[in-house]
Amino acid sequence: MSWARGARFLLAVWRANLLSAMEYRVSFLAQVAGMFLNDAALFGFWTIYFQRFHEVRGWRLADVLLLFGTVAAGFGCATYLFGNVLRLATVIAEGELDYYLSLPRPALLHALASRSVPSGLGDLLFGFATLAAVGAATPGEAARFALGAALGAAVFVGFLVVVGSLSFWIGDATLLSGAVTQGMIMFSTYPFAVFDGWTRLLLFSLLPAAFVGAVPASLVRSFTWQSLGELGLAAALSLAAGTALFQRGLARYQSGSAMQARV
Amino acid sequence: MAVPWAPARKYVAVSRIQLRASLVYPLDAAGRAISIVLFVVVFLNLWRATYQGAGRSVAGLGLRDVVWYLAVAEVVMLSQPRTAALLAQSVKDGSIAYQLARPYRFLLFHLAARLGDTLPLVMLTLAAGGAAAWLAVGAPPTWWGVALLAVELPMAWLLNFLMSTAIGLLAFSVEDTTAFEWIYNKLMLVVGGVLIPLDFFPGWLRGAATLLPFASATYTPAHLFVRPGGQGALELLAVQAAWIVVLGSALWALYRRGMRRLVVNGG
Repeated sequence: MSWARGARFLLAVWRANLLSAMEYRVSFLAQVAGMFLNDAALFGFWTIYFQRFHEVRGWRLADVLLLFGTVAAGFGCATYLFGNVLRLATVIAEGELDYYLSLPRPALLHALASRSVPSGLGDLLFGFATLAAVGAATPGEAARFALGAALGAAVFVGFLVVVGSLSFWIGDATLLSGAVTQGMIMFSTYPFAVFDGWTRLLLFSLLPAAFVGAVPASLVRSFTWQSLGELGLAAALSLAAGTALFQRGLARYQSGSAMQARV
Repeated sequence: MAVPWAPARKYVAVSRIQLRASLVYPLDAAGRAISIVLFVVVFLNLWRATYQGAGRSVAGLGLRDVVWYLAVAEVVMLSQPRTAALLAQSVKDGSIAYQLARPYRFLLFHLAARLGDTLPLVMLTLAAGGAAAWLAVGAPPTWWGVALLAVELPMAWLLNFLMSTAIGLLAFSVEDTTAFEWIYNKLMLVVGGVLIPLDFFPGWLRGAATLLPFASATYTPAHLFVRPGGQGALELLAVQAAWIVVLGSALWALYRRGMRRLVVNGG
């Protein structure tokens, strides 16, 4: 499928998702607002922490807020546009891929985009609100923030596809995928300066949380072309690895012959 | 195994079935173990950096105490029963009608089923989290605290079950309970003391937070693990016991009210 056709297809799926969500408008808005408040409440931890300790290895409350916002925006973007990435392991394990495989569209892209998590929009809004809260609201900073969050989202999606695809081999990687998601969020929202040695290495490789949090956040206040290049490369590699592993796993896929109705 | 009280047999059987079901995918269950190890690594890094700047002891707790405290709190958090989501789903898809028609007490069935679900998780997260904390900062601060955990983990689990089930039963009144689950989880994380011990809170907030059920479910077992004989231990236990009674009664009332409101369509 050409890029243009792929883009048109994605836009059509996202439009259908939005129209479907609008059928339950109140529930949609409640989830968006609920997630915004949820993020704000979770940030309460850092407020309490910095009230007691003031700084940790040079990081202050505003720095962590910007980091937290970048991760929220990236995560929100990923889950709103490619919501099934959070449950890809289940989709594979429970034979739900049958539906996507039977249609003349790329199965992975279709499976990922066919579900939209409304609360992702709440995360995205919270991310941009933090940008205003830390006083970094010039057009240039906002553009770098958006670019960083988008590339972080690409790293996140690619990596979760890798983990979710393990269902092809181990039967059901749902809990593993959940654990990895939690791990990515947790490591990416903590001040990067507290990690050193092998942990730092881990966050740039096996669990690439640095490319979802610290590196994208650094683009806003201390932009370098090198950081942008590294982040872009990480996003490309992550997506390529996810796609390759999923395609390889498809050869092992066993349909559950589950009866599914889609209205 | 002979069960002394005959009516309990079916609930033991339910627990056993759920226990077996939860062991079907051992590699996947290991995901939780990975989770808690990752959490301990994050906590260790943050608090080691914190203590480098703040000195050997903060609010009477050293680095070893904090890491063990957070590991225990995380065990409670990761092994809590997810009754809310299951109940809400069964109300939404109508399968609750079948559950209610079966010859068992609805709430006891869920208590038994969730016990079976979560028992392996408790053991697994406790073993993995304990091993990670031990490797990170050495042996637990006191062995008396370790012994007390045998009582405190079930109490914490029961409190979480009561709160989660109450949220699930709200599905009888509201369409979607997801937002309530989020709020409950965040309250557990922040004012329950999962992410930061309440000992580090400002005085007024700490006093208020320790009186809430969220703290009884996480702060109390974790704090008593590192300071079993400390000042205020008895008060924490009393508050925890009181919440079990209050929430247990509230849950029963909520269930009765939900049954009165329930309308099952079709056959």
